[in-house]
Amino acid sequence: MGPFFQYTVIGLTVGSFYALVALGYTIVYGIIRLINFAQGDLSMVGAFLGWTLLVSLGFQHLPLYVALIAAFVIPMLGTAVVNLGILQFAYRPLLRRSLLAILITALGMSLFLQNLAELIWGPAINAYPPSLLPASGFFVGPVHLTYVQIALVLVSLLLMGGLLLFVQRTTVGTAMRALAVDHDAARLMGINVDAVIRLAFVLGAVLAAASGVMLGVYYVQIQFTMGFLLGLRAFTAAVLGGIGNIPGAMAGGMLIGLLEAYTTGYLSGKWEDVIVFGVLITVLVVKPTGLFGERVAERM
Amino acid sequence: MIAQLADSGLGRRYASARDLLARTPFWARVLVVLAVLGLAVLGYGDDYVTSVAVTAATYGMLGLGLNIVVGYAGLLDLGYAAFFAIGAYTSALLMTQAHWNFFTTLPFAVLFTGTAGAILGYPTLRLRSDYLAIVTLGFGEMTRISFNNWDYAGGPNGILQIPWPNLFGFQLDTQADFFGVSLFLLAIAMIFAQHLDHSRLGRGWVAIREDEFAAESVGVPSLRLKLFAYVMGGMWGGLAGAFFATRIGAIDPTSFTFQLSVLVLILIVLGGVGSLPGVLLGAVVVVGLPEVLRQFADQRLLIFAVLLVLMMLVRPQGLWPRIRRKPKPFYGLEEEESGELSATILREHQVQVEERVRRHAAAGRQVAQQGEPLLEVRGLVQRFGGLRAVDDVSFVVRRGEIFSMIGPNGAGKTTVFNCITGVQRPRRGTILFDGRSIVGLRPHVIVSRGVGRTFQGIRLFRNMAVFENVMVGLYPRHRTMTWQAMLHTPGERRDELRTLQEARRWLHFVGLEEVAGRLATELSYADQRRVEIGRALAAHPHLVLFDEPAAGMNPTEKLELVGLIRRIRDLGITVVLIDHDMSLVMRVSDRIAVLDQGRLIALGPAAQVQQDPAVIEAYLGREEDELSMAEPRGA
Repeated sequence: MGPFFQYTVIGLTVGSFYALVALGYTIVYGIIRLINFAQGDLSMVGAFLGWTLLVSLGFQHLPLYVALIAAFVIPMLGTAVVNLGILQFAYRPLLRRSLLAILITALGMSLFLQNLAELIWGPAINAYPPSLLPASGFFVGPVHLTYVQIALVLVSLLLMGGLLLFVQRTTVGTAMRALAVDHDAARLMGINVDAVIRLAFVLGAVLAAASGVMLGVYYVQIQFTMGFLLGLRAFTAAVLGGIGNIPGAMAGGMLIGLLEAYTTGYLSGKWEDVIVFGVLITVLVVKPTGLFGERVAERM
Repeated sequence: MIAQLADSGLGRRYASARDLLARTPFWARVLVVLAVLGLAVLGYGDDYVTSVAVTAATYGMLGLGLNIVVGYAGLLDLGYAAFFAIGAYTSALLMTQAHWNFFTTLPFAVLFTGTAGAILGYPTLRLRSDYLAIVTLGFGEMTRISFNNWDYAGGPNGILQIPWPNLFGFQLDTQADFFGVSLFLLAIAMIFAQHLDHSRLGRGWVAIREDEFAAESVGVPSLRLKLFAYVMGGMWGGLAGAFFATRIGAIDPTSFTFQLSVLVLILIVLGGVGSLPGVLLGAVVVVGLPEVLRQFADQRLLIFAVLLVLMMLVRPQGLWPRIRRKPKPFYGLEEEESGELSATILREHQVQVEERVRRHAAAGRQVAQQGEPLLEVRGLVQRFGGLRAVDDVSFVVRRGEIFSMIGPNGAGKTTVFNCITGVQRPRRGTILFDGRSIVGLRPHVIVSRGVGRTFQGIRLFRNMAVFENVMVGLYPRHRTMTWQAMLHTPGERRDELRTLQEARRWLHFVGLEEVAGRLATELSYADQRRVEIGRALAAHPHLVLFDEPAAGMNPTEKLELVGLIRRIRDLGITVVLIDHDMSLVMRVSDRIAVLDQGRLIALGPAAQVQQDPAVIEAYLGREEDELSMAEPRGA
């Protein structure tokens, strides 16, 4: 049983990164029905902004808390600006026109971000400062937990809880949910639709940036291509949970993380994707709306 | 001015040239265009340019296949590289392990990928399109990784030393040879794709893309058609893959990544979704642009991305968008006397009825005679959450009558229609049509049993011409097979011509022959409703359900509608009508059922229903309901 719990810990840690990115997919999809393929790459941008602060600008030598807070908050802001720019220049003119054209634009933006990052930060692997957080940990029975793991999972739970509260309890959150159901009705109720769409993109970017920095801290190595696999897994997670459904995306992310950890642990890393996608397809065949998605009634 | 131009020699020559072009069969046009392109490239005589052209032709084949899936059927496929891979591996393994000739492996590569498409498509095509996107993406990745982990196929190293193709003893080994082969395959792919597009299959695909629910409700088997699209798309991909394998000589899993799927998708959107010349143009741009940008080396993908995004902003419909207009749809079709037309329709319908009687007699069933029950609804219950939308409703519609359902908004009338047509499955109760239960059948099956319908909120295929809308309604009556459509056989051509002719008759019947070539959305509200009626009639139903056909019509149009409904009944078609216009309902109906809050409160001839105290109390007697009744209830 020892390895099982160990894999579970790894799975939940990685799963929380996926969950954060999946939330970005789900929020944006819920509101404008767009699969924002640039979501994973936003994470990458966040990771590199964090790296720039910590390494290039030397924030790693500041007191730990200052460094950490700066390394989270500033990339969040920066990525939000990037995402708003993408929305403004690339997606907005196409909204309400052709869904396929926006999708292609999203793929184009993903390619653009990757190549821009390669141009700015170079094609090589960059490393986060390894000594930022104590690498030590402790044992619970046979299971080894590191402080980094605990901190990262806690931060992502905090972010997810905050998001959930925001969407469920605030007026703006209610407006977002209304928009997800019907744009025109929401507009007629006096909701500023454009502002809510912008908010969704900001939220998506903030979560993506957080997961990017966390990935950097956890895996140490970052590269301009890292967004692709992350985005793919997160997208899978969002669909597994039922796309458009916020708790679904969280659960989906955790599930994908666990699945990946168990596959790697018990089987072999080279079958990871086959298992992940196999499970996804099976779930969708059995339950076409995803695990937590609700049946969307079609208007007759 | 234009008349002058047409009179001048130049104008005449232009007109006759255009006419000649229109009469030239598509395959001849494709051959000419590809031959000219081929000669141009070969004439240039540069090996580098030729090899780029071969790549462009390969992408063209891929694009044509994906275009069937995305452009025609409207299914988003993000894992198309899987089919490319399966085709390439099938062909490569047969060539290296079984030492087959390339051309012999082609049918197997195509067959295998088609089968793979069917296996993946069958369980997943019911999913919503965004979910399908991730499923196909997953399929693409799974295929690639499986090849990567499959030792027999060389694992990550792939298959090496794939022989060059051998054509009747000639070894094809120069770039020019490959270019010839690729053009030949491309021509086949293009001609077949075009034939499919212009067949009933193509029409069904467009209908599904426009409005899947409406398509299914007028008799298009949407699931089967989507599966066809998927399988065909796979076959085209297999063809391209097999060619790729022999041309490159060594394949490995890195040739079949998600990026390739995306590139092919970009290609067809760039060119113009659904447009064949667009696909070719897209392939040339997607393959050629990175070559042109080669001097920028490191930044070329960045530039490509920027150009792509800009292109989508400036021209989201693509470089060479698909045009679907035919101002004179019946041009060249033999004229029919208008008097004969109604007689022909009547005769056609009687043929249908007799055929049905024979079919039923052969199966040992009785067919409802005039005045006997055609549709029996017994104890129908439908619930939405806690609401009982239809609560224990029973009635019988007799053959040959005009039967109306009235009741205040929310009484459950449309829900009854939806239960009869298979859109919803009732919680309880039986529905017998012709003595046979139709509960639980898919809508298109119920259409083929002989039930047609129109919708409360008009659901025409918006980007199709009026005559095409009616032709979609004829879908259940086609007899040609898919392979016939692909080859465009004489039988298929006759069937298409017959369909066109019948569509014209029905348009004449509803009085819309003049506007047959217009887009459905360009018509007035009343005319759109008449198109819907024509579309429902085209399948020669025995029972039609009209859901508020008079909504939005002015008094003159309503009067015409009364005449139309009577003429439909005179054809021997039983009519069930929902409407809020009391004078229309009272005038036209033989019997009326009154629903209120899901329950049947009265049933009988108009005079009797009007006197019924329950009806007066629940419905007619209340002033505010009269007001709400008079308002059209659009979607």
